[in-house]
Amino acid sequence: MNISYNWLKDLINVELSPIEVGEQLTRVGLAVEGIHEFGNDFVLDIDLTSNRPDCLSHLGVARELGVITETPLNERAAKYREVPLPAVLAGEVVTIEAPELCNRFTARIIRNVKIGPSPQWLVDRLEAIGERSINNVADITNYVMHELGQPMHAFDLDKLAGGRIIVRRAKDGETITTLDEVERTLSESMLAICDAEKPAAVAGIMGGLGSSISDDTVNVLLEVAYFDRENIRATSRKLNLATEASYRFERGVDVENLINASNRATQLICDLADGSAGDLIDIYPVKKSAIPVISNDISGTVRRLTGLAVAAKDCIRILSALGIRSSESETDPEDQLREFLSPTWRHDIAIEEDLVEEIARHAGYENIGTELPPAYGAGEYQANEQRLKRLRQTLTDTGFDEAISYSFIDTKYDGKFKTVPGISQTDLVTLNDSVIEGAVRMRPTLIPGLLAAVRHNFNQQRRNLKLYEIGKAFSAGDGYDELPNEKELLAMVLTGSETYEDRAMTGRELDFFDAKGSVEAALSAAGIENVKCSADMIDHLRPGQSADIKVGGETVGYLGRLSDEISATNKFRQPVFVAEVNLDLILDADVKTVVYKPLPKFPGISRDVSFIVKRNDVYSDLVAELETLKGGHFRDVKFVDIYEGAGIAEDERSLTVRLEYRSDDRTLTEAEVEALHDQIVKTIGEKLGIHPRI
Amino acid sequence: MSDERDKVEAVRTAFTEEFAPYADLRLDGMSLSDVESLLRGLGELKIKHSGKKSAIAATMKLIGGVAPEERGAFGQLVQSVEKEIANSIEAAEAGLNAFILNAKLERERIDVTLPGRRPRAGHLHLITILRQQIEDIFVSMGYAIENDREIETDYYNFDALNIPEGHPARESQDTFYTTNGFALRSQTSTVQIRAMERRGVPIRIIAPGKVFRRDTPDMTHVPMFHQIEGLCVDKGITMAHLKGTVTEWLQRLFGDDTITRFRPSYFPFTEPSAEFDFSCFKCHGTGRSDNDRCRPCKGSGWIELGGSGMVHPNVLRAVGVDPTEYSGFAFGFGLERMCAMMYALDDIRLMFDNDVRFLEQFR
Ligand SMILES: [Zn+2]
Repeated sequence: MNISYNWLKDLINVELSPIEVGEQLTRVGLAVEGIHEFGNDFVLDIDLTSNRPDCLSHLGVARELGVITETPLNERAAKYREVPLPAVLAGEVVTIEAPELCNRFTARIIRNVKIGPSPQWLVDRLEAIGERSINNVADITNYVMHELGQPMHAFDLDKLAGGRIIVRRAKDGETITTLDEVERTLSESMLAICDAEKPAAVAGIMGGLGSSISDDTVNVLLEVAYFDRENIRATSRKLNLATEASYRFERGVDVENLINASNRATQLICDLADGSAGDLIDIYPVKKSAIPVISNDISGTVRRLTGLAVAAKDCIRILSALGIRSSESETDPEDQLREFLSPTWRHDIAIEEDLVEEIARHAGYENIGTELPPAYGAGEYQANEQRLKRLRQTLTDTGFDEAISYSFIDTKYDGKFKTVPGISQTDLVTLNDSVIEGAVRMRPTLIPGLLAAVRHNFNQQRRNLKLYEIGKAFSAGDGYDELPNEKELLAMVLTGSETYEDRAMTGRELDFFDAKGSVEAALSAAGIENVKCSADMIDHLRPGQSADIKVGGETVGYLGRLSDEISATNKFRQPVFVAEVNLDLILDADVKTVVYKPLPKFPGISRDVSFIVKRNDVYSDLVAELETLKGGHFRDVKFVDIYEGAGIAEDERSLTVRLEYRSDDRTLTEAEVEALHDQIVKTIGEKLGIHPRI
Repeated sequence: MSDERDKVEAVRTAFTEEFAPYADLRLDGMSLSDVESLLRGLGELKIKHSGKKSAIAATMKLIGGVAPEERGAFGQLVQSVEKEIANSIEAAEAGLNAFILNAKLERERIDVTLPGRRPRAGHLHLITILRQQIEDIFVSMGYAIENDREIETDYYNFDALNIPEGHPARESQDTFYTTNGFALRSQTSTVQIRAMERRGVPIRIIAPGKVFRRDTPDMTHVPMFHQIEGLCVDKGITMAHLKGTVTEWLQRLFGDDTITRFRPSYFPFTEPSAEFDFSCFKCHGTGRSDNDRCRPCKGSGWIELGGSGMVHPNVLRAVGVDPTEYSGFAFGFGLERMCAMMYALDDIRLMFDNDVRFLEQFR
């Protein structure tokens, strides 16, 4: 909000420079974001918090400045201090049919007005704060709003049917063309200012075009009123129409400031537009009394919450300067029990803590001490944070960059990706709307986000990528009213070749086993060692290069090469490998404690053997079978190589493994190992129906 | 005995003639293969002119024809010629070998300034780096790290935080809703409630996490970002403890000379409320760096970081804590904003593009 320095000085005698005013206001919570020169004036740009609508005017800002500088406000002499028209007579001009939505309504008829341009001083004032001059009467209502914080509306009296005002709920479907030349359809929940026949204004928001001030206007009806805040807010939302007036009404104006504001505007209209004012009509059906805030010991509460030592009399001085009156204990001056009544312009003082803030901000936050709370227990990370940290570190060390993608994704990914166990693929979480076209689905998988990152990087000619993301995926809760299911996932994507820092030439091209190795390395870093893969058909993966990731026999995710279909949609022309794991399923598992195994005393002897296997035979079956033969001198088995091609039948592969033999109490002889190895190869061959390659 | 002497001399002359190419070797500018062939030639020469079958060895047999009194002198002569030949060859050999060794070392000389064969390391996301730094600081100060739901009920996102229905913060069009009426949390303050329900009081926690606001992405807005929420509730906690705690962690992050500033503000879940700023880490509050207006603080010397205040009594009541017995402070700030200022990022959307050219600038 813009505040003119010269205008402020009309309201309060301050000796402070514009910069000092800015500093002082910022200090008490009216954040001055900038000060700029405008002609011979300075304009302060104040960023007001939503609890301080009372400061949406020069009067409000001057009040705060008055408390800071302990200076009283200048009295603005009101020319018309007459007693309002008696209610019976007033009723002929104004009727309130919906008092629940209109706490108070004042009107005054000003006759023989000459509509014309505003004088230069008024134009300057408005332009200084960024407002545009229209004509004298419109400018005056705008001026008084910015001066006193009270929005008001001037009607052309002769265009009001019956020359009168009825404040009532609109009828459903009733229409009005507002000043912005838009026809608006009203409903019964909305308050309208009507003439004898039809709505003439949307109460507190915008006037109607038909009854607005024009160059031909002669007689003016000036409305200054107070409307129900919630109702103005609701109507403004429903009509999608927010104005300076609605902004103030919905936050709350000063119900006791109406007459003052009406008088000020009337005086200006008479002075600047030659009008002659009639009697003031004031209808005030429900007068609400402020609820007192009770404090047992305001000074003590200030100390308890802020650490500031402010004597009770100083507390009361600050509050009273802010218009917050306190009751004095008549019987016992030592009694700290007091009731505080906030002024009608403050809508944000309800409890003792609110008083504490008022005192503290004027006593100065800079005077509050700076100390650490007394020592307490030891700090602690999230239970899984250390495991996640090691997992992240391992991935980082092995060349993965960490990605973070939006949690909402496009609906076009629906059903295309198999979701990890724990997240439903079909019962998804949907947003009412989004700020990104189409992205209304709370992601059930992190992979679409990573694929978007791959596309982005391919477009930047970065074709060798390893990315991962750790974040939540979502699916619907058990019932409609249940909170959605949130699970922490790890997703990875690999494509292209191994790369080296500062070298243009790349290494080996990445394949399925790089992706698998990365999953194993990451999970191992998090303390999970028993990771196994088994072939499976996965929606988004290429048949033959796709696998379930299993931990302790339970499937926790999927791994493989992206399907040709999804690759084509993404215009990927190189293989892309993806993996996704539900971390919540595995991170709670106990970490195995390490038990030391004595180091071997005697050397081992290794023998390689190549088996000819069918293409659909798998390594894990061979290992499982070999495992059963372990014990004795046969100690270990390791993968060496898999070969297909020349010399091997079309439907077969040659699978080479290395077997290790060792004794704990002597060095084995070649002959012994030979015999044992032959025996093992023979046994396996018979069991699995495979033969060693000769 | 002059005949015999002459024969010895003839051998010497013959050697000297054959050795001539090696006698005064100038190897400069010769190729390795030329020198190697020279060495081979020298080898042949060596076989011919030294050893038992050489001409000089044969001259020893002549000693029988030498007068006995001259035999000693003759023997010496033969030996000296023999030695002379051996020495000459040895010297030439050494010279050639030295050249060859040098040439070979030279040939295998590498450019040690070429880049090492270093597998490309990956990079943590900027947000993770900063989050971990801040978590470490708070854990060392006795705080527990909390983590919680991202989709919440209105109760946790609003009601329990003293934002009743009809409150402007609630009606503002900022919050994403699911079709069945749950809110994507619009602030990590939700964790205040969840954590106090779980742990009770006294409590000291920070809660980092994602929050969501319905802002269309542009240079300075993103619809999803990260916040860290801090909460300390105990008997006797005051705003001085809030100021002390915020100042302490900012000093640990940005250096001991960092100073903080608290300005009155408004948040529904704190009373009194304050926004906090800290002196710019780049210009140390002067507003100028590199002879120009300082970029991170836009010349103000201050960086606005977050919101804070004393936990509102209604929030304490919502979790069954008596606000007359306990008091506490809470604070929150956005990590993207902080990163944007720390690294002078001009476009906050870079945080979620996952462009590796961006990611690899941070570690
Ligand atoms: Zn700076």
